[in-house]
Amino acid sequence: MGFFNSLFGGKRERSSDVARERLLTVLVHDRVKLTPDMLEQLKAELSAVIAKYVPAVEPGEIEVSLLRGEANDHIKADIPLRRTV
Amino acid sequence: MSRVITITSGKGGVGKTTTTANLGTALAMQGLRVAVVDADIGLRNLDVVMGLENRIVYDLVDVIEGRCRLRQALIKDKHLPDLCLLPAAQTRDKDAVSPEDMVALANQLRAEFDYILFDSPAGIEAGFRNAIAGADEVLIVTTPEVSAVRDADRIIGLVEAFEKGHPRLILNRLKPRMVNRGEMMSVDDVIQILAIDLIGVVPDDEAIVTATNRGEVAVLERNSLAGRAFFDIARRIKGEKVPFMVLEEQQGVIDKLFGMFGRRPRGSER
Repeated sequence: MGFFNSLFGGKRERSSDVARERLLTVLVHDRVKLTPDMLEQLKAELSAVIAKYVPAVEPGEIEVSLLRGEANDHIKADIPLRRTV
Repeated sequence: MSRVITITSGKGGVGKTTTTANLGTALAMQGLRVAVVDADIGLRNLDVVMGLENRIVYDLVDVIEGRCRLRQALIKDKHLPDLCLLPAAQTRDKDAVSPEDMVALANQLRAEFDYILFDSPAGIEAGFRNAIAGADEVLIVTTPEVSAVRDADRIIGLVEAFEKGHPRLILNRLKPRMVNRGEMMSVDDVIQILAIDLIGVVPDDEAIVTATNRGEVAVLERNSLAGRAFFDIARRIKGEKVPFMVLEEQQGVIDKLFGMFGRRPRGSER
């Protein structure tokens, strides 16, 4: 949604989407007591570890999210790699 | 087998008391013996919502401290003979009772009623812990707002930590037209964030305000949308399979057209 909006002249993001995203961020902290600083550090260290094996990591674009499962919460990291031709 | 169900939320003002009154009434309308218990000691409210405030003689703390028998404290509903209210004490605080007292009270009520609904206070402290102590299961009420959903998430964790099983969610005060415009989180948004089973969605409805003004319970007048939603939830509590009302319209061209002409979304049952 945000992508399309920015394509067509930067219309404001829907407030329900903003609410969802803000909540997800807050809940990460609430559930595992992970502060935004710690999350940034986690991303940086993750990218450093991955970079050892896969050279084309985009550290700024790693998305770390927290999911609640039946018995456990899960940290999910989405790590985009640069295409190398 | 009677069932003890606690209605809680974390955040205040999301509709716990209204939900308790409506679900208790709806269950009693279906011929079940129901007790609704106001566990918000010091901030008594279930009595005014049900229009029974003038009939109170004894309260929950009187029963627990042995100043009266349970039967004497139970107030019969105005309309339904099988519905009773056990009011909270207004002049005491939550330290007047312990979780063990509440378990004993719940067990005493089981002998007389099919369903016992506890209306929990807001918060995560002693009052909340007392309110869930005797519960077999827990229903969590939230509205589609960030603060309420955040608190609901916290409460879900606590309910599970107290081994009350997986609570189920009532999403209250949904405004379908705002959801359609992308200005309010949808049912799916909230369910995904909380990862919890949904037992019902109650649309925002002025009928709740007018009914509460008069000390009536909306579900008795089943023509209001919110009243019907509460009635459906009561049936689901009993284990019936009741389809969810269609509140959020599909964003098709036709719906958008109706939206332009200000047609109100109507719930459709069955």
